[in-house]
Amino acid sequence: MAVTKMFGAAVKRREDPRLITGRGNFTDHIRLPGTLVMAIKRSPHAHARIVRIDTSKARAMRGVVAVYTGQDLVDKLAPVPCAWLIPASDLKVPPYRAVAVDKVRYVGDAVAVVVATDRYIAQDAVDAIEVEYEPLPAVVDQEKALEPGAPQLYDEVPNNLAFHWKLHSGDFDAAWDAAEVRISRRLVNHRLIPTAMEPRGALAAYNPGTGELTIWCTSQNPHVHRLLLSAVTGLPETHIRVIATDVGGGFGSKIPMYAGEMIAAAISKDLGRPIKWIETRQENYVATIHGRDHIQYVDIAARRDGTITGVRVRAYASMGAYLSTAAPGVPTWLFGLMLQGPYAIPVVHCDVYGVLTNTTPTDAYRGAGRPEATYLLERMIDLLARELGMDPAEIRRKNFIPKHQFPYTTPTGLQYDSGDYEATLNRALELVDYQNLRREQEELRKQGRYIGIGFSTYVEVCGLAPSQAAGAMGFQGGLWESATVRVHPTGKVTVFTGSNPHGQGEETTFAQLVADELGVPFEDVEIVHGDTEMVPFGMGTYGSRSTAVGGAALVHACRKVKEKAQRIAAHLLEVSPDDLVFENGRFFVKGAPDRGMTFQEVALQAYLAWKLPRDIEPGLEATHFFDPVNNTFPFGCHICVVEVDPETGKVQFRQYVAVDDVGNVINPMIVDGQVHGGITQGLAQAVYEFAAYDENGQLLTGSLMDYAVPKASMLPSFTVDRTVTPTPVNPMGVKGAGETGTIASTPAVVNAVIDALAPFGIDHIDMPLTPERIWRAIRERSR
Amino acid sequence: MKISGSYTIRAARDAVFARLTDPQAIASCLPGVENLNQVAPDQYEMAMTVAIGPVKGTFQGKVQLADINPPESYRMAVEGQGKPGFARGVGSVQLRVIDDQTTEITYEGDVELGGPFAGVAQRMLGGVAKRMIEQFFACIERQMSASS
Repeated sequence: MAVTKMFGAAVKRREDPRLITGRGNFTDHIRLPGTLVMAIKRSPHAHARIVRIDTSKARAMRGVVAVYTGQDLVDKLAPVPCAWLIPASDLKVPPYRAVAVDKVRYVGDAVAVVVATDRYIAQDAVDAIEVEYEPLPAVVDQEKALEPGAPQLYDEVPNNLAFHWKLHSGDFDAAWDAAEVRISRRLVNHRLIPTAMEPRGALAAYNPGTGELTIWCTSQNPHVHRLLLSAVTGLPETHIRVIATDVGGGFGSKIPMYAGEMIAAAISKDLGRPIKWIETRQENYVATIHGRDHIQYVDIAARRDGTITGVRVRAYASMGAYLSTAAPGVPTWLFGLMLQGPYAIPVVHCDVYGVLTNTTPTDAYRGAGRPEATYLLERMIDLLARELGMDPAEIRRKNFIPKHQFPYTTPTGLQYDSGDYEATLNRALELVDYQNLRREQEELRKQGRYIGIGFSTYVEVCGLAPSQAAGAMGFQGGLWESATVRVHPTGKVTVFTGSNPHGQGEETTFAQLVADELGVPFEDVEIVHGDTEMVPFGMGTYGSRSTAVGGAALVHACRKVKEKAQRIAAHLLEVSPDDLVFENGRFFVKGAPDRGMTFQEVALQAYLAWKLPRDIEPGLEATHFFDPVNNTFPFGCHICVVEVDPETGKVQFRQYVAVDDVGNVINPMIVDGQVHGGITQGLAQAVYEFAAYDENGQLLTGSLMDYAVPKASMLPSFTVDRTVTPTPVNPMGVKGAGETGTIASTPAVVNAVIDALAPFGIDHIDMPLTPERIWRAIRERSR
Repeated sequence: MKISGSYTIRAARDAVFARLTDPQAIASCLPGVENLNQVAPDQYEMAMTVAIGPVKGTFQGKVQLADINPPESYRMAVEGQGKPGFARGVGSVQLRVIDDQTTEITYEGDVELGGPFAGVAQRMLGGVAKRMIEQFFACIERQMSASS
């Protein structure tokens, strides 16, 4: 049996053949006999009182089985839950009804639900429902929403302020007074729409005979959804099975508990029939969460030599019209804790105002809070460099937390596990040939051509954990992960993981881990995920945590299995377990390699159990729940090179170099893919994507035609490289790579464009840097 | 969204004003109007099919004329609801004598779209509305020259 080391091998993703040949098991692929189709009538108003709903025409239509209004569902469903109750912030969680009662608060708020025999009838019936609204003034901008006299979304939330969260570490006023250089800016980190390729959906099947509900749905965390569905429907957890086998992208948007899935469950229970609901793309744009949307006021205190002595941030985060499941944690903990970035900044002051507005609720979107922190810091350090006439690379180098100071305790109370920030900067400078590039920039400027070089040196927190920290932050759940490793009599292995990959490729990387740990062929390992009936409770996939936490749970479970297998082998070989060596899937006696048993032979004996001693149970499987001692902190340096056409304002990408350190890498091909996708999403925020509302709260970018998800032709070719600084917090030394690209790339691109525009005296433009915005900025300065 | 413009018509101001406030003329000249019924003095109900870019739909709506000041000016409020969402608009129309046989019409308005319609159509609204208004006045002008 030839077993080579799988850790570090660029194995092709084993999930891809089924996904790319249309043989996946996405929610909409599941067919059950007798299924009814559900469609949701949504508000076209951003803020309005519901005066009257007339469902009679819809009810009279042939094929319509039932119509529900908000009032009809009040007794059948508890409000949509918010599960990140941040402490010491005067948090107010107004009731979020799955279907609005009395009042709608954003365009897309559900007002009625139709159940019909097919999708066409359901949609026609939705159109036949007549709703009379009394439109109310709407407020879209979070700063305006706080002003006196602004439209009020809720009587019980004065001034639309859902919370005010503070994190003050050190004496910022003293740092500010003592500063030799002070930089202040207002920065807008605009709203984005996740746009997963598979929209959300659910197939809920309640069996009145058994009282059990099975629900296939688009979920990043099926157990969490089971728990929340139990809470909102009143069904016991033991009677709910959530299945989310194949999920077509999430980026955070499939973490929350949503109205749509809840309604499908409640109606299936009410009618005793399977109910299918699949979002349309337009619904996806208004009814699935949005991300970012901060207005930030930032002050940086520094010395003339470039040393940053303090950072102060006042951020206004638009929460949308309701508080989504994890929403309060995103602009607070996931943002504020990271405000020192990779720099030895001693003082951090952060105030965040979570504001309710007449817009789609916001929640975690790829990076969730860290992109907003990284962007402001990387923009401000560039402004500081320009003020001081320093090179942007050198000012970063000067402020880096030095390599010998790890583990490093930040002023915000985190402990950065490991790092060598300068190494990534040096490598990236080498890859772009920095000195020559600067010379080229000078020469081109003389010819009236404007290239710019933009830096982003970042650190991010991922592998979201541990549970104690989650509790302290008010997160209503743990942040551990589970894995069960079941070895079958033939030595083949099934893994049940609480992680729930939805594009990340864990069916491949997790099998690589098992192949190495147990010395079995990669092909012999099956990964099962996404079914609460099969998998032990797990927390799911988000926050770049699946490999660092879920993978670690798996390795620990494998080691438990191996330990038992070793005891069985020792008994059968009549030696002490300590006398055995395990290599290439075989146990053998130290110094006598001929006396041994393969892992498969041991597995068979474990199940035959003919010769097991009394103190060893038959069978060969183990479960491990892993709660790490800390998060992991990947870091890196991204450099973007652009050319800006001053006539048109168009940005052309010349080069993009990413040097990341995500610790050890299990599968470099998959990590490269994650980095590519991440850079794409972050770069898109910098120059393309923008969720635009008009002042009445109408979403103007509500389709793929209007919301600028980039095509391949709109992207540069990426040069991806890595340094390796393993983390001590898990046995594999892996950190996480799901969000690094998104976090790093946005400021790198913006800094590059602003660098290109330096000769015009432009030092900042808010994103997205569309040709129009750049052209206008140049025109204003040139007048 | 603010919309404004002007159109010069080869007809006397009194005649133009009468034509512009005549429901039959509006119904026959406004593109997409399927029916227009008077429900009260200066108030009409109508059904109108509008296509903007990829979105097409029939709106059921109301037209209300106000501040009618013949032959110089009037105000108009329109609102409609349909499958693709809703549309609302208010506007004012002014008529100025250029000479005996020439009248300049200037209009100003604010149009609001809501629902899915807004997401897809808003950015094209300005152009479409302008074209519809031009078509409307051109049709009025044709009718007037045919009847004179």
